[in-house]
Amino acid sequence: MDLQNLNPSSLKSRFTARFLRALTEINAPKTISSSSPREIFQRYRRIKVAADKSMAYSVRSRRIWSRATLWRLRTRSRSRRLVSFGRRASVKTRTTASHGKENKEHHGAVLGVQAEELRELVPGGEAMDLCNLLDETAHYIKCLTTQGFCVYMGGLLCEGCC
Amino acid sequence: MENQFFINAGIPPHAPPLQFGSSLSSSPMSGWQSLSSAMEIQSQDCFPSTDYGLQYESALSSMVSSSAASNCNISGESLMIRELIGKLGSIGNSGEIPQHSQPMLAASSCYGTPLNSPPKLNLPLPTSMGLNSSVADFSADPGFAERAARFSCFGSRSFNGRTTQFGPNGEIAAYRSNPLAANANLPRVSSSPALKAMVSQVGGSKKNTPLQNRSELANSQEESTVSDQNPEPGLKGSNSRKRKAVHKAKTKETSPSPSPNASKVIEPNEASNEKRCKLSESNGNENGSGKAEEDGKGINTKAPEPPKDYIHVRARRGQATDTHSLAERVRREKISERMKLLQNLVPGCSKVAGKALMLDEIINYVQSLQRQVEFLSMKLASVNTRLDYNVESLMSKEVFQSNNTLQHPMFPMNSAASAFLGHQTQQNPPLQANTAICPKLNTHLPQINQFIETVSGYPAFCEGDLETLVQMGFGQNQIQEMAFHSQNFQGLNQVSDMKVRL
Repeated sequence: MDLQNLNPSSLKSRFTARFLRALTEINAPKTISSSSPREIFQRYRRIKVAADKSMAYSVRSRRIWSRATLWRLRTRSRSRRLVSFGRRASVKTRTTASHGKENKEHHGAVLGVQAEELRELVPGGEAMDLCNLLDETAHYIKCLTTQGFCVYMGGLLCEGCC
Repeated sequence: MENQFFINAGIPPHAPPLQFGSSLSSSPMSGWQSLSSAMEIQSQDCFPSTDYGLQYESALSSMVSSSAASNCNISGESLMIRELIGKLGSIGNSGEIPQHSQPMLAASSCYGTPLNSPPKLNLPLPTSMGLNSSVADFSADPGFAERAARFSCFGSRSFNGRTTQFGPNGEIAAYRSNPLAANANLPRVSSSPALKAMVSQVGGSKKNTPLQNRSELANSQEESTVSDQNPEPGLKGSNSRKRKAVHKAKTKETSPSPSPNASKVIEPNEASNEKRCKLSESNGNENGSGKAEEDGKGINTKAPEPPKDYIHVRARRGQATDTHSLAERVRREKISERMKLLQNLVPGCSKVAGKALMLDEIINYVQSLQRQVEFLSMKLASVNTRLDYNVESLMSKEVFQSNNTLQHPMFPMNSAASAFLGHQTQQNPPLQANTAICPKLNTHLPQINQFIETVSGYPAFCEGDLETLVQMGFGQNQIQEMAFHSQNFQGLNQVSDMKVRL
């Protein structure tokens, strides 16, 4: 376990590097600005997106949830620029969701309700059967804990520096 | 508007019910401050998750390696077989069995064409003893009563038309299919009188008590389940394939002497699912062995599973087609295996029994993790407003360090961390990462040392204490950080408490 943090290619170090880079980009244009809630909220959204994106990029395309997250982020950024595309993005999500529901019914899940909730939680979980969903959930939990830890550390760091 | 801001921020109001309500009711900006402090407190409750992240990494790696190492388990099965051979030494073929088990192992380990498996199965057959002697041996065998009892339930109609040649094969099939389930299920008991009748037919007379059989079977079952758990993922798929393959070859198989089959069958059956199914197929007729094999696979695979699954399988015994039921069983095995992994990952899940409750726990945990990240990023956003240009330089330094210095362990921090916390080693990696991120913190470590010791001494942190800590200066951040880590290993109860609150 100790070696893992020393490993430059570990999830934690990869995520931390990317996240810090994103944070610098977010903070760079800002001076000591007013702490209006609006700005805070905007910054929060950016930081959250940066955290999710850096987490997804750290995992690359090895996992379904990371691919789904990356796709979602790209689609959202595209939809912000072009409002018309937003409809197409929502259509895409609907198709995947319907496909996922078909899978659900086919497998006749004993745990249908919870599986559905889990699918909503895990990105990209709509189109997965229960077996893969549990796999993805496990990896997702691991990445979420890493993400939370790194963001927390980043917060402490920023607090400490001011 | 401020409340709306908070809601838009995605902070769930119900998550920290007590502090949240008070914070939201206060004036906006001061409310934000107190809210952030309150959420810090709760975040500290939430943070035990990182330890589990570390644990999870090891669990993941072990899972990956175990699935990769499923091939190695076949040798484990051979060891199991030899053990069982030693146990069932009353059977005269014990000297020959180990050698004969090898080809069977080889047959089980490869998918093989239909032609491959039967010849290998037939190899041990001729070498065994005559029917009567082996049956007598079987009657002495502790598990025989159980298995024959079960088989009598399965293939009774096939038995009636059977020659003596196939009769023992049917019994062997029963052997094969039932060993693991012997100790478990009451319905099996009722068939023992039928077994005795059958045995007397064959010529042996046994008076073994079912209890003895069951205890023996239970012992062997425990061993076999231990070995079966690992091979299960890798072998389950192969089970289904082999079963179909052997099924086709069944017609070609004629067992010259069923008793050798019986003797050969006993140990492999107890050891591995595949052998059980294969031998049952080879020995019985199609219907009877089909049922036996299905039941065998069901019993073998279901034995480690919760009893409800086992009963469910039994009910469907005669109805489901082979492919569907096999595929379903394989799928269920996979799901239960992954649920176990998730159980290790999610704190507090080991107490929960049942898939539904465990899934609920997992869902709560994932939700809390996501909220935690949202809260932290919100906190980070609020903190950033106070940052000045120094931060950017520091950030670039951190980036540099996170890229490079995370590689080496910050050696002074290693010993220091272990001295500070003196607890689980999981604490050390986060501390190392932290010091790698900000070397400034190292200067504060000696001052924090004593505090950390005192912090570690407290089993539970009062939230009021943390609030006061928040109000203090830079050193306070260090304390929070160490408190975070101390909360991690103390936090199991708190996480569960938090979940209860959620």
